[in-house]
Amino acid sequence: MGYLRTLALGAAGLLLAAGSATAQTTVKWLHIEQNPTQVKIWEEVARKFEAQNTGVKVEMQFLENEAYKAKLPTILQSRDRPHILYSWAGGVLKAQIEADVLEDMTAGVGAYKDNLSAGAVAAFTVGGKLYGLPYNVSQVGFMYNKDLFAKAGVDGSKVKSWDDLLDAVKKLKAAGVTPIAVGGGDKWPLHFYWTHLAVRLGGKPAFEAALKGQDGGFEGEVFQKSGELMKQLVDLEPFQTGFLGFKNQQALGFFGDGKAAMNLAISHHSATQRALAADKKGIAEDKLGWIDFPMPAGGKGQLTDTLGGVNGWLVTKGAPKEAVAFLKFFVSDEVQRALAAQNFIIPTFKGSEAALSAAFMQNVAKNIAASNYHQNFYDQDLGPSVGRVVNDAVAEIAGGSMTPKQAAKAIQDAFKQGN
Amino acid sequence: MSDALAPRRPLDLMPLYKAVFLGVVALLVIVPLLATVLGGFKSLGELRTNPFGLPETWEWENYTGILFSQRYWQLLWNSLVIATLTVVLTLIVASMAAFVFAHIHFFGSSMLLSYLTMGLLFPAATAILPLFIKVRDLGLLDSYLGVALPQVAFSLAMSILLLRRFFKDLPHELLEAALVDGCSYIDFFRHVTLPLSRPILATVGTITFVHSWNSYLLPLVMLNSDSMYPWPLGIMIYQGEFSAEWHLILAFITLTILPTFLLFILAQKHIVAGLTAGAVKG
Amino acid sequence: MSQHGGTIAIPQEARAPAARGRRGAIDSRLAALLLFLPPALMLFTLFVVLPIGEAAWYSGFNWNGFGKPTRWIGLDNYRFVFDSRGFGTAFKNNLLIIVVSLTIQLPLALALALILAERFRGSVALRMLFFLPYVLAEIATGLIFSFIYDGNYGLLASIYRAFGAEAPHLLASTQTSMLAILIVVVWKYFGFHMMLFIAALQGMDRNLVEAARIDGASRWQVLRYVVIPLLYPTIKLSIFFAVVGSLQLFDLVMPLTRGGPADSSNTMVSFLYNHGVSRMRVGYGSAIGVILFVICVTFAFTYKRWFMRNE
Repeated sequence: MGYLRTLALGAAGLLLAAGSATAQTTVKWLHIEQNPTQVKIWEEVARKFEAQNTGVKVEMQFLENEAYKAKLPTILQSRDRPHILYSWAGGVLKAQIEADVLEDMTAGVGAYKDNLSAGAVAAFTVGGKLYGLPYNVSQVGFMYNKDLFAKAGVDGSKVKSWDDLLDAVKKLKAAGVTPIAVGGGDKWPLHFYWTHLAVRLGGKPAFEAALKGQDGGFEGEVFQKSGELMKQLVDLEPFQTGFLGFKNQQALGFFGDGKAAMNLAISHHSATQRALAADKKGIAEDKLGWIDFPMPAGGKGQLTDTLGGVNGWLVTKGAPKEAVAFLKFFVSDEVQRALAAQNFIIPTFKGSEAALSAAFMQNVAKNIAASNYHQNFYDQDLGPSVGRVVNDAVAEIAGGSMTPKQAAKAIQDAFKQGN
Repeated sequence: MSDALAPRRPLDLMPLYKAVFLGVVALLVIVPLLATVLGGFKSLGELRTNPFGLPETWEWENYTGILFSQRYWQLLWNSLVIATLTVVLTLIVASMAAFVFAHIHFFGSSMLLSYLTMGLLFPAATAILPLFIKVRDLGLLDSYLGVALPQVAFSLAMSILLLRRFFKDLPHELLEAALVDGCSYIDFFRHVTLPLSRPILATVGTITFVHSWNSYLLPLVMLNSDSMYPWPLGIMIYQGEFSAEWHLILAFITLTILPTFLLFILAQKHIVAGLTAGAVKG
Repeated sequence: MSQHGGTIAIPQEARAPAARGRRGAIDSRLAALLLFLPPALMLFTLFVVLPIGEAAWYSGFNWNGFGKPTRWIGLDNYRFVFDSRGFGTAFKNNLLIIVVSLTIQLPLALALALILAERFRGSVALRMLFFLPYVLAEIATGLIFSFIYDGNYGLLASIYRAFGAEAPHLLASTQTSMLAILIVVVWKYFGFHMMLFIAALQGMDRNLVEAARIDGASRWQVLRYVVIPLLYPTIKLSIFFAVVGSLQLFDLVMPLTRGGPADSSNTMVSFLYNHGVSRMRVGYGSAIGVILFVICVTFAFTYKRWFMRNE
């Protein structure tokens, strides 16, 4: 009995120790970056900031992409939540603002935001107030392995229409090459296909109409056709075996190992595949090609329309003001150039994109700059709950358990239900 | 003996069938475990080419890398703290209540007992969301107590039943004599019941410890900062991070089930008795 | 404190304390009652009973957990749950687990128990070995098997490769994901049921078995007509645990499939987690919780009434 009591006291003592306050300010930074090289650059930035600001410590915390999205709702409820969070803007950002968990940084950032691309800043401005600092823009497109394409006799630069893509897939299969690697287990890599088809088929007008509930909303013609075209692709069985069990990182690793010819990726994943390949080298710059998402016949969208993300960092309510200061330090010309030089990001700081070294990244940067309609990822734009339904539904089209019609209906139903 | 009465049969294959059957089952149990332990010693490539055999080269770094990481010990420490808190609180609270139910008859005591036994009927998962909200509102999110207290609450039903049965089985004359001697109930509890109840306390403590040590859903919902994660959460995060590097993941799994395994070897009788007694009495 | 419970002549002086003692005894009863009972009742009410009540309350709202629930939608959440394909699949999966537990796991456990109840060289070691999976955490077991099932590096894949075939990605197909989970469930829990049966067999009255043998009954007849009927109580208990355990299954599902692909291998609890907790749809998740609660309680009551007469 005696030792039980001692144990209890010991445990209580531990709790007290854990709760004691520390003298300095700690800024807690939660991120999802897998690539260790990029993380290392970030750490250096953090150390530099600490050197310039005595008494401030920057603490980095990592959560993998899917785990991050799943845990974010509960993390935000905790008193001990991180101060800086990764964000894809969109409807999820709006939900977070409504829940009053974010810090309004309009004042803290001030005129600094004029250094950043206007479109990117707009993505993080809601109701006239700035809630996040964008640091990266990206585009979704096909990155491909030039060697494997050559083996199958496919010319990447000639793939322009949807039918060209289907042709390429058939040729690759005939040559014994797995056409596409996809991280079906995470679902969102699959939803790129459907949403990009929607962007191509209907462009901005279709999306805005759907948001207003016009033309049948997400059950409308454009979205059903997206599902049907996607089904055309799925029926060719272009994905790697067991694709529904692959997480995105595994799919990127698969691609980086040279086992599949294409991957419909977010532009900066071209760098990630290097870290995730088994030999840690992946597909080299000069062997990596980029195909803009093809245009299906009868598509009303513009060729310049892009699907992609604007990524930035949010600050949670109650965070120390050093958090905003750090963000300004992080999204600065110097840091952005350093990251761009290794093709980790497409910078938002005006002028930093000159540092991009890879040809296709420069291409992507130009695409985004020229685009009049940069559609944010649906699963982020439509909000936390509806977004996940989009992912679920598209994954079911890919797995064959839902027809395009059912998928569109499921999405429209969820959209009506709201978040 | 019975074979002497049975008609002559050329060969009694029964023992053979039994042995084969046992052997197959034993193999099915051992192979996954052994593959996990050995897999941690291999390189990723070797896992593919030589899955069942001994490693060609024993890659100790997989294991040492984890053993020397702060993260591993932090996970174990968190699990230990939470489990210990749970066990201590459960034993104290449950034994007190069980004592009352065993010896003190008052109006409504059987109703209250039924009330408590309701807790056996449904798992914590059913009310996990309101539980989350409640723990958050109490400010206990991201704290050891935030996990321990609900665990204690849910294990009360079983623990109280087991303890009460045991207390009731103690000779009643002890209590009578003590009361006659002017001893108070509380003193009797402290000086007679508890010392005599070591076996059942060990059993209840073991059941509670094992359940807390292995628990995943409750910490998953209540804890958010990775410095507090117990090992089940930690291992899932590890797997998320190193998704295809199976050799590392297997090493990590082995190292995290090692404590359970050791505990099992040392205390098998207790654990078996505990986990099955919980079943039979319930 | 003297512990002798024997009959000792109580001297006169002690009687007085006895008379005083009666009132003192009531006081001490009260003290014990007031001190010992409340902690348990409070903890239990606060963390077990209230949350279920709150689940019923929250289930009427569309709420994301922040602030207070404001959007009352009545029984709509329940309608959404019953309409959703995912929940139907989850419910069916739970039933599937129960069926497999009863038709495969139980006989397996029984067969092993019959063999291992005798003491022979290695029987105790084998019992411990078979019980070991039960002791391991579900989460660890799930991870071990997610390795075994892995299409590229897994043991299963290696076996297929040895025969020159390509391994199926069991966890990645909606058809086989549940099968994969069922195998792990059997692997993990058969040892527990086996131990239950062994305990029962060892406590069984040997004379009945001997008598039947002497009467000339064959091994199978003894088994069917004597042993198994004597084991009915334990079998019922085993069924009870199989059902209750299946309704709670979560930790095994997450590392293996996370309920996927496409919600094909969800159990009701993992469905609750994926659609309620992860998306912070408190009302929706609470509705699922309430449904699960009703199922559990209904089962427990009907089972106890029909099959068991314990407490």
